[in-house]
Amino acid sequence: MTTMPLETELAVFARMKDTLLATYEGKFVLVHGEDFLGAFDSAENAYAEGVKRFGQEPFLLKKVTAHEEVYRNQALSLGLIHARI
Amino acid sequence: MPVFNFYQWSESHGYTLTASGPLISVEISIPAALKVYLSEKGLPVPAPQSGFALIDTGAFATAVDQSVFDALGIAPIDKIQTSTPHGAAESPVYPATVTFPGLALTEMPMERVIGCNLKWKTAEGKEILMLLGRDLLQYFLLVYNGKSADIFLAY
Repeated sequence: MTTMPLETELAVFARMKDTLLATYEGKFVLVHGEDFLGAFDSAENAYAEGVKRFGQEPFLLKKVTAHEEVYRNQALSLGLIHARI
Repeated sequence: MPVFNFYQWSESHGYTLTASGPLISVEISIPAALKVYLSEKGLPVPAPQSGFALIDTGAFATAVDQSVFDALGIAPIDKIQTSTPHGAAESPVYPATVTFPGLALTEMPMERVIGCNLKWKTAEGKEILMLLGRDLLQYFLLVYNGKSADIFLAY
């Protein structure tokens, strides 16, 4: 069975989230497959490390925060951005 | 301070600011770290994707059409929950680099950009690839002058 990109990594992150919040809140973590690869002070440094290790393969780079952001763009989702009336 | 002053007017369509929205030309390219990786491996570095960004003060995050990431070969780094009229969904998140030629502002890193289907062409044929959200707008001064159909953008 194939998995969608980052499905495994997101499951690992969800399992570890409470521990990560206690230790790395506000930092950027890197996960590849089932492996947690560490926490970084900036997304830029985390991405550079991920690319160095895995090239163009997907890896998870996520900021450790208690609340996940939700993207809301009503105009886009309602098709109003390029509506012509 | 780089300044961009753009009268949105075309010979065929007249003033277009109301119809098309505030637009600025953009080039989207791969993140610097990926460029270094590809160069070191002797792999081809994909050419930047060019088009226009719609300045979208209603969006907290910047979004780019999914086809741009596919063309650039950038892998997703995360997913984000999105709110749609049909309920909750998920969209991939990517890193990228953006250049604004009109502002002479080059290779600005974008750590998290949302990939979604948003590409369309304005009536005068400008292809929109990006919705420029408040995560980038926080670094700009923006004046929307509806009276004279121009925008003023400074970085």
